[in-house]
Amino acid sequence: MAQANLLTPPSTISPSTALALSQKAPPILSSTPISSLPWPLSLLFSRESPETWTIHENLFFAALRTGDDKSARQILTRLTTRFGDTNERIIALRGIYEEALAKNPGELEKVFQSYEKILKEDPTNFSIRKRRVAVLKSLGRTADAVTALTVLLENSPTDAEAWAELGDLYAQQGAWAQAVYCLEEVLLVTPNAWSAHAQIATLHYLTVPSTLTTLSHSLRHFGRAIELNDSYLRGFYGLKLVTKKIIPLLSSPESKRNHNTDDDDSPPLKLETVKKLEELATSKLAEIVRQYASGKKGWTGYDEAEVIAARELLDRDGKVER
Amino acid sequence: MAQPVVQTIHRDPALFWWILLPITVVMVLTGILRHYAMILLQSAPKKQALPQIRQQRSLVRGINLRANANVLSPISFQARKAYMVSAYQEGKFLADPEGRGKPRPNPMSDPAAMEGIMGMMKGNMAMMVPQTLIMGWINAFFSGFVIMKLPFPLTPQFKSMLQSGVGTRDLDVRWVSSLSWYFLTLFGLQPVYNFILGSNNSANQVTQQMGQMNPGAGMMGPEQDPDKLFLNEAENLEVMEHRWILEGVEDRLLAKFAI
Repeated sequence: MAQANLLTPPSTISPSTALALSQKAPPILSSTPISSLPWPLSLLFSRESPETWTIHENLFFAALRTGDDKSARQILTRLTTRFGDTNERIIALRGIYEEALAKNPGELEKVFQSYEKILKEDPTNFSIRKRRVAVLKSLGRTADAVTALTVLLENSPTDAEAWAELGDLYAQQGAWAQAVYCLEEVLLVTPNAWSAHAQIATLHYLTVPSTLTTLSHSLRHFGRAIELNDSYLRGFYGLKLVTKKIIPLLSSPESKRNHNTDDDDSPPLKLETVKKLEELATSKLAEIVRQYASGKKGWTGYDEAEVIAARELLDRDGKVER
Repeated sequence: MAQPVVQTIHRDPALFWWILLPITVVMVLTGILRHYAMILLQSAPKKQALPQIRQQRSLVRGINLRANANVLSPISFQARKAYMVSAYQEGKFLADPEGRGKPRPNPMSDPAAMEGIMGMMKGNMAMMVPQTLIMGWINAFFSGFVIMKLPFPLTPQFKSMLQSGVGTRDLDVRWVSSLSWYFLTLFGLQPVYNFILGSNNSANQVTQQMGQMNPGAGMMGPEQDPDKLFLNEAENLEVMEHRWILEGVEDRLLAKFAI
């Protein structure tokens, strides 16, 4: 795996990577990007660039994650002196810092109160709104978090991040239809995100009661995710699960009877096609597992846990093609 | 007719040191100065109030729906369309529901709009003042000098461009006068500024003017009536044709991986 750097950290940071990132703190903290010369000279000789501050911010998150609160405090002070106390982003970072340091629900509650105060002064601060939702979530007040998110989305309905979060919350509560709706909104903002397609497919798959309609939606979304990224492990994994569930439904004679009464809006799936898709998913998963195990170049980027899960799925199936 | 005689003009080498170089240096420095002056003059973008944000983003949501509708299944698309269209037509997302249907106020009386205009004026001033000063300076001190010779021949059409301020009819086009040198640097220094200040600078007036062609490039300029935009978008949604991209994806997949 490539060395993670602070400027462009990976989207999901494993604990070991986070530790490696936060250990880069001392050299960065020992050199100051703002030059100490008096005003006109400081303009000419500063080594500061936009990247400097991106690095600082990422280091801040890594430090908080690994419990290096002292470094985090230093970075926060530095960012505050550079960008001022009232910068929206700085306010949010300070909030994150306080949240991370809160030891019990009572302290978290205090952070929450401070967010309320900030929002009263400036209702347009969306990062603080999001932090507020995060605090509600960690306090376990899911229903309040949902309400807060719906208010946020009422005011800013193009925020894919917030929609995805709301979808998650609904899914936790088992409100599948609402969760699907939220993920559809995410898709409307980012129509080619295969992860969003896979997520919506998962939701369709998990929907209870599961009908042929939801399953075929799930299958199609997984299919679209694979179409967009043809080495997407999660897509193939899901495709295999869904097809295995659909095949008996399609084979049974009552499915044909049911079909017309259902509020199905999509053309029905053909049994033949689904079977072929199942074979395709199996062979693809087997290939990924095999290539990953042999450590071939270009195949090692998969998450190990996902590959193990895929191998288990194949083993359970009995048809091991390794 | 005899071949045209190659004109030779003996120039004082001091011309280079005392005219060509000063003009160039002054032009570069003014550009840099203007860049920093623009940064100082720029007022921070004004914060929008919550209802305005809501109004704008709701419109964007409709546009997103129209642009990316093919990810939705027909049923959920119909449901969304019905909701959005009715909400747009009722003006649910308007920042100012009472002001619906009233004519827009005169932008001159609106302080927010005035601020935008003032910003533009400031930018214009930062451009005009140094330009006028330098032009006057060059006219006063350096006009009428022939300061360099281009190493390549040119057609006579370039005469007015390269020899402004020198009133000789028979002079070869390759000679460049000081005033023309000023104009050449004025329009040609953009790459130099890019090199010194980075590509996103505001040193050159030409790029400045281009930026000002459409000041309210955003979707909701102050002069547009949001209600009209919403009704327009509702109409667009009504007439749009929906195609589901997930339809037949299973066959496409099989065809793709069959190879």
